[in-house]
Amino acid sequence: MLRVRGLTVGFGGAPVLADVHLEVRRGEFVSLIGPSGSGKTSVLRAITGLLRPLSGGVELDIPTRDVGFLFQDDALLPWRTVRENVALGLRFRGVEAREAGARADRWLSLVGMAGFGDRYPRQLSGGQRKRVAIAQVLVLEPPLLLMDEPFASLDAIVRTRLTQELLGWVEREGISVLLVTHDLEEAIGVSDAVYVLSQGPGARIRARHEVAIPRPRDVLESRRHPEFDTLLRRLWDELSDASTPAGEPA
Amino acid sequence: MTSISSRRTIRRVLALLTLVALWEIASRTGIVDPFYAPPPSRVVSVLVSLFAGGAIYPHLEATFLAALVGLGAGVVLGIALGFAAALSPVIADLLEPVMILLNAVPRVILAPLFVIWLGIDLASKVALSLILVTVLIFFAVYTGIREVDQKLVERVRTLGGGRRELIREVYIPSLSAWVVGNLKVAVGFAFTGAVVGEFVASSRGLGYLLQFAQSTYNAGQTIALIVLIMAFVLVLFNLSERLERRLLRWREGG
Repeated sequence: MLRVRGLTVGFGGAPVLADVHLEVRRGEFVSLIGPSGSGKTSVLRAITGLLRPLSGGVELDIPTRDVGFLFQDDALLPWRTVRENVALGLRFRGVEAREAGARADRWLSLVGMAGFGDRYPRQLSGGQRKRVAIAQVLVLEPPLLLMDEPFASLDAIVRTRLTQELLGWVEREGISVLLVTHDLEEAIGVSDAVYVLSQGPGARIRARHEVAIPRPRDVLESRRHPEFDTLLRRLWDELSDASTPAGEPA
Repeated sequence: MTSISSRRTIRRVLALLTLVALWEIASRTGIVDPFYAPPPSRVVSVLVSLFAGGAIYPHLEATFLAALVGLGAGVVLGIALGFAAALSPVIADLLEPVMILLNAVPRVILAPLFVIWLGIDLASKVALSLILVTVLIFFAVYTGIREVDQKLVERVRTLGGGRRELIREVYIPSLSAWVVGNLKVAVGFAFTGAVVGEFVASSRGLGYLLQFAQSTYNAGQTIALIVLIMAFVLVLFNLSERLERRLLRWREGG
């Protein structure tokens, strides 16, 4: 579905990412974890073309515009109603207004926001805006979904619930996912494979770990799986290692 | 909530009425010289006679025409120049210094120049009100475009929007927010331009009447005209506020 090959990204000076390789297979849920400032977000931005890499490239099995991107913040168009916001991508694809509105409403009720279609984003809570942002992306039925710590700003309960629901949709629709996060437990709980990015500048992929917890998953149940702790331990060690700048004793 | 705000309104009206009543008494009893501060009842009767005789209408027409033409043309010109400057760095380099200079000085000092250039008729008043409004709207549009939320731009792009969709969904709405937000100030500016222009040199308009009343030391008529201009501007303020609330209803919270 997605192959990133030798991706090098920089903004003048030392490159942020150096020679990053990773792959997301069809239907696979992959996480990319790394210390903050390692350039995780830049990987996603390079995949969608929001960022031009210095070298290397991205191979997608689908057109770039079919890639769904769930951002860290929940910026919706403030002057559009919730329904119009969700219908936006459909309208860009030439779907007629009434049909787009109906499909938007269907997704709004799937994300638990039925009846909020005529509100404006300012009238919603952070968690509700997040739900709308999810509907806005999933209504397009993206074969590949990129997520940049989408629930970082939410409280633990809302976060767990939304993660579980999102996991459900992704499993049911067979969506391939690349999730960027610094939350190890979240990464293990939801993913089939976890990539570890080293500390930047010049961050590289240090390792790829398979997560052998069966699907469908329950975010809370996965934590009791024997695999969970073993992997958590290993990722933890690798990340603390990765966070130590080269040459400095750990 | 409603009862509190209506009680506040009542208090304000009472305070105003008290002030007017005190003024009336002070002026009638000679505590203040009615030559300088004629009682409000005199002011009202001057206002009534201005309208009853019909003498005021050509002046009202002149001022409103100058202000509204200046407002309309100023908004259009300000949007055009703001757009041009935001899209082309060359135009920005040419326009920005001029606009900053015009913004820094009280623009009404240009009034005498406009009279020399354009004569004492409508044109010089329109020009003054236009320049007041244009500079204001120019900066609203210019900063509006430059400070468009980049997150929204990226969102629309990743949802599959191209250049046209970006302009329609992001640039124009955030711009209108800036422009509409400045509309109230623009209305005030437009009237300032028209009245000051008339004040400097003219044969018609509220500013002309005001100047005439002043030169004949007619305090009653001067106050009447000031009250009249205030009333008109307040009505227009109110209208533009309604327009603003209607156009920017998404701004209101739950």
